[in-house]
Amino acid sequence: MKKISLIQMKADHKGKVVEILGGNNLQQRLMNMGIYRGREVSKLSHIGLKGPVVVKAGRSILALGHGVAAKIIVSCE
Amino acid sequence: MIKKIYLIGNPNVGKSVIFSRLTGVQVISSNFPGTTVGFSKGYLRLGDEKIEVVDLPGAYSLEPDTPAEEVAISLLKEYPKNEIAVINIIDSTNLERNLLLTLQLIAEGFPTIVSLNMCDDAVHRGIHIDAEKLEKLLSVPVVSTCAVTGAGIKLLIQRIKEAAAVSRSKLTHEESWVEIGKIVEQVQRLEHRHHTLREAIEDASVRPVTGLIMAAAVIFASFHIVRFIGEIIINRIADPFFINIYRPLLEKLTVNWQEHGFLFHFFIGELVDGKIDFKQSLGVLTTAPYIEFGMVLPYVISFYFILSLLEDIGYLPRLAILLDNLLHRLGLHGYAIIPVLLGFGCNVPGILSTRILESKRERFIASTIISIGVPCVPLQAMIFGLLGAYGGLYVAGVYLVLFCVVLILGLVLNRTLHGYSPEFLLEIPPLRFPPLLVLMRKLFYRIKGFLIEAVPVVLIGVMAINILLYFELFDSVTGLFAPIISGLFGLPKEAIVALVIGVLRKDVAVGMLMPLGLSAKQMFIAATLLAMSFPCIATFIVLWKELGFKNLIKSTLLMILLSVIVGTILNYLILR
Repeated sequence: MKKISLIQMKADHKGKVVEILGGNNLQQRLMNMGIYRGREVSKLSHIGLKGPVVVKAGRSILALGHGVAAKIIVSCE
Repeated sequence: MIKKIYLIGNPNVGKSVIFSRLTGVQVISSNFPGTTVGFSKGYLRLGDEKIEVVDLPGAYSLEPDTPAEEVAISLLKEYPKNEIAVINIIDSTNLERNLLLTLQLIAEGFPTIVSLNMCDDAVHRGIHIDAEKLEKLLSVPVVSTCAVTGAGIKLLIQRIKEAAAVSRSKLTHEESWVEIGKIVEQVQRLEHRHHTLREAIEDASVRPVTGLIMAAAVIFASFHIVRFIGEIIINRIADPFFINIYRPLLEKLTVNWQEHGFLFHFFIGELVDGKIDFKQSLGVLTTAPYIEFGMVLPYVISFYFILSLLEDIGYLPRLAILLDNLLHRLGLHGYAIIPVLLGFGCNVPGILSTRILESKRERFIASTIISIGVPCVPLQAMIFGLLGAYGGLYVAGVYLVLFCVVLILGLVLNRTLHGYSPEFLLEIPPLRFPPLLVLMRKLFYRIKGFLIEAVPVVLIGVMAINILLYFELFDSVTGLFAPIISGLFGLPKEAIVALVIGVLRKDVAVGMLMPLGLSAKQMFIAATLLAMSFPCIATFIVLWKELGFKNLIKSTLLMILLSVIVGTILNYLILR
């Protein structure tokens, strides 16, 4: 098990959210959209170098800006 | 006693479609989060009573994150809870995420009824939800609906009265998600399915390489289809009608009128080579209807057909992901592409939809970019109609200049304005294929809206010009502006009239350029200036309402400054 950010995670890999860096505001917004500690997410793609990351959480597909993705730490195999 | 019914739910669950079903009031609905940024009201007949129904913008929770969500939540709290009923609309294909808001609504004591919407799509995707069990677990009524086809709506109406506040303990977010997990486990059964073609396309559209190829194909195809349909309507329907039916009719009706009398001038205008020339006569019954119905309406139809299709399929948020990188440099994020695309139809809904952006700074940048660099369909139709005659390169040139202006403006605003742009955080809806009937209804609604707004203003515009021409009042006014118009932009001084009329409507304004006999270069400069300069009055008012007076002035000054600079540069440096 290693802890990495969503940016570092490879496409088509799965991981469990272990930490969300950043303020309450961001945590709450992500929480409302279904990304929270303990949630399993899989990464679909990463557009460009500094572009958004697309993840699947449950049945939702979410696009997260680069900065947000960097703040979401997941643990994966 | 229910006095008001509110429709609330996560973004993009079909609230507006349910609203139309309940009230018969047509509102714009699409397949992307944030279609509704204001609220609409209608009435539902329940027995003998007429109850007001309010369609709210989508919200993920009762704590607002965007201005659109703020609207929803503040309206919801306007009335005492015992006088309202809340219809919580849920996307059955994504039960889990939707239930957070449902639990909050119930815990806050709102009399709630749940509409499990899009149940047909859920079945297609192999998702089965036990509505009865869900009803027991939530202790509020749950009705399966499919708003697009109308299934379940009757039952929903019948059961509205059962909505009552139930007591349920308030949970923290973490606790809610645990609770939701338990509920979903009990009521939802997933059939194992292989990847369908649709899911394969959904996936491919959000991956870098395949996504870009698809985006390029979609944009290219859209542009060509809009032109193709527009031209077919003009060449096969509009032009034959005006030339073969309408013109002979007018000629017959006015055969006894004096050619230089006021009435003749007012209704028919100046004859060109002894004939009515729809583009140049400037009469209230000749040029005015021709501009609107013969030149603009065909493109309005074709543009909104394609835009509505893309909206309903759910492609636009996918485009937003791909453009996020570029738009970030302009101080926006990917989702700003939605207001910009709507702005290409008409700047007014475009600027209104900037409410889906979180910060004031972003909304200022997006609104300013739209009002300066995004030409609306009526204006584009006229540019195609007039400038197209000199060759497609000139038309492409206008777009290129506008694109450069937008880039530079965005880069500069992003560097100079205080604050930062928030990060992109967007749910990507599944691809859906709308029934043709639904699409046509939306198209019809938009065209009706266009005609109601455009026709009177066009008539007034042409009338004003016509009267000024007849009494020869122009010279004194135009002389004043000659140094700028002719000196800087190389246009005949009469072109100021077009720029001023542009305040009313841009399409009439371009129409005013037709009789001036401009050269290709002059027409190019004039069209670019009209696109960039002062927005039409409707856009101006919306800018004022959305940005406030101070920012309106800032935006306007930028507009004037940029128009003068670009006009001069085009005249002196580029097009010699």
